[in-house]
Amino acid sequence: MMTWLMHHRRAILTTLAQMALSPVASLFTLFAIGVALSLPAGMYVLLDNATQIAGTLPAQNEMTVFMRDDASPDDVTKLKQQIKAMPDLADSRFVPRQTALQQLSAQMGMSELAAELPKNPLPDAWIVTPAATDANTVARLIKQLEQLPAVALVQADHKWAQRLDALLALGRELINILAIILGIALIAITGNTIRLQIITRHAEIEVSRLIGATDRFIRRPFLYFGAIQGLVGGAIAWGIVTLGIVLLSPQIDTLNKLYATQIQLHALGLTDSLILFAFASLLGWLGAYISVGRTLSRIENTH
Amino acid sequence: MIRFDRVTKRYPGGHEALKEVSLEIAAGEMVFLTGHSGAGKSTLLKLIAAIERPTSGSVLVNQQNVGRMRRAAVPYLRRNIGLIFQDHKLLFDRNVMQNVLLPLQIAGFSRHDAAARARAALDKVGLLDREKTNPIALSGGEQQRVCIARAVVSRPALLLADEPTGNLDSEYASDIMIMFQAFNQAGTTVVISTHDHAAVLSGNCRIIRLDHGSIQS
Ligand SMILES: Nc1ncnc2c1ncn2[C@@H]1O[C@H](COP(=O)(O)OP(=O)(O)O)[C@@H](O)[C@H]1O
Ligand SMILES: [Mg+2]
Repeated sequence: MMTWLMHHRRAILTTLAQMALSPVASLFTLFAIGVALSLPAGMYVLLDNATQIAGTLPAQNEMTVFMRDDASPDDVTKLKQQIKAMPDLADSRFVPRQTALQQLSAQMGMSELAAELPKNPLPDAWIVTPAATDANTVARLIKQLEQLPAVALVQADHKWAQRLDALLALGRELINILAIILGIALIAITGNTIRLQIITRHAEIEVSRLIGATDRFIRRPFLYFGAIQGLVGGAIAWGIVTLGIVLLSPQIDTLNKLYATQIQLHALGLTDSLILFAFASLLGWLGAYISVGRTLSRIENTH
Repeated sequence: MIRFDRVTKRYPGGHEALKEVSLEIAAGEMVFLTGHSGAGKSTLLKLIAAIERPTSGSVLVNQQNVGRMRRAAVPYLRRNIGLIFQDHKLLFDRNVMQNVLLPLQIAGFSRHDAAARARAALDKVGLLDREKTNPIALSGGEQQRVCIARAVVSRPALLLADEPTGNLDSEYASDIMIMFQAFNQAGTTVVISTHDHAAVLSGNCRIIRLDHGSIQS
């Protein structure tokens, strides 16, 4: 146990000493890793914010079914039964033309409007909620509803909300792809640093082997180096993302004033931050692991 | 302690560095291995420490067949052997003390114990006052003594020295030989290779002569 602790302590100290040996190169590598990681992390935060803002928008998927102008109360009853019979609808609500006119005049601040108009220009309407929100179901429902006899028009009010949903889903896909590509880049960057380090420390490795170092003893400092480098790179990425949010906030405040909205940008949460750090260290470790295996077997087979 | 049984070592390229060598070295012995350059002295020492593997025959160290040893077991064999190289193999990115500490760090000694042992080893070779010096600033003889300190610091049962006095003038050389004799008297088995017969200690040490890979008797 003590030996184990000693070895790990030594490996960490070696890592820090190695970084201090070439501070400029180390900083450059750390920043490269930080920037690479900040891209998916930053996009993730923006998307997370967008998702949250989208969630505060009004009901996502209600549709309005306008009845023909000449529809009779009989037609209303009939349509009511037909709508009730449709399995894909979760909810439906009848808005009589009088109610609609009253609501409209109240919204416009003209209570006399209803009285002044010779004839109510608004038709009877149903507000229906589909049971499923996917584009196919909604499109099929619209078609079914439009074919009913007393129906004049079906309006999917919040089609754009679905488009936003689709866009957000696309964004998530993009982030996944970006994260994979940049994760591989991180492994490659780490692998290269480790390779150069092994070459410069060739003599030390050779002597250590001759005086009884195990494979693990030889590898450990490099694995630590990769993991620590990844972790610090992850911390830099975190800093970049947080700084970005801080810099964007005044702009959002201006928007909030102009549009009387309550949008608040948030930075990476605790869990997401921890995941970022864990992934960064893990990828660094992995890059080091691959590189150590390859480089050691190459230099040790050449003599 | 060491036993070679018809050991042949053929290097890639076909050159036979050792031919059917059989020998035995008992625990506590001090043995000189002599022969011209290219006779196979270094090869023989490398076989003992499993740095090279025999092409045929068996090499036993403490009843272990080191020629067939698993790769993962080799480090533990080497921790019991002090190796002294003709070209020192000191590390110039650290001072004398840190060079001597390396075997102890590998073996997992606590820092406190390691420092005490390293100081004792440096004291034995008379370099305690140079512990903070970079070995590159030392003379050839002093570098060789750092190498000896590093080899004995973990108190191995077996000391293998490959032409330890090869590049040294004779006064230094006899100092170093006397040092080896002291380690031997403390119980360590010592094998020293040399191509220089003058370096062999007068007295009752056994001499093994190699000639073109074969033992001469
Ligand atoms: N790694 C190697 N590959 C090929 N030939 C080698 C190798 N090491 C040594 N030899 C050859 O083996 C012979 C014995 O070498 P060595 O054991 O170093 O002799 P000595 O130490 O007595 O000078 C020499 O002819 C040398 O050229
Ligand atoms: Mg030699």
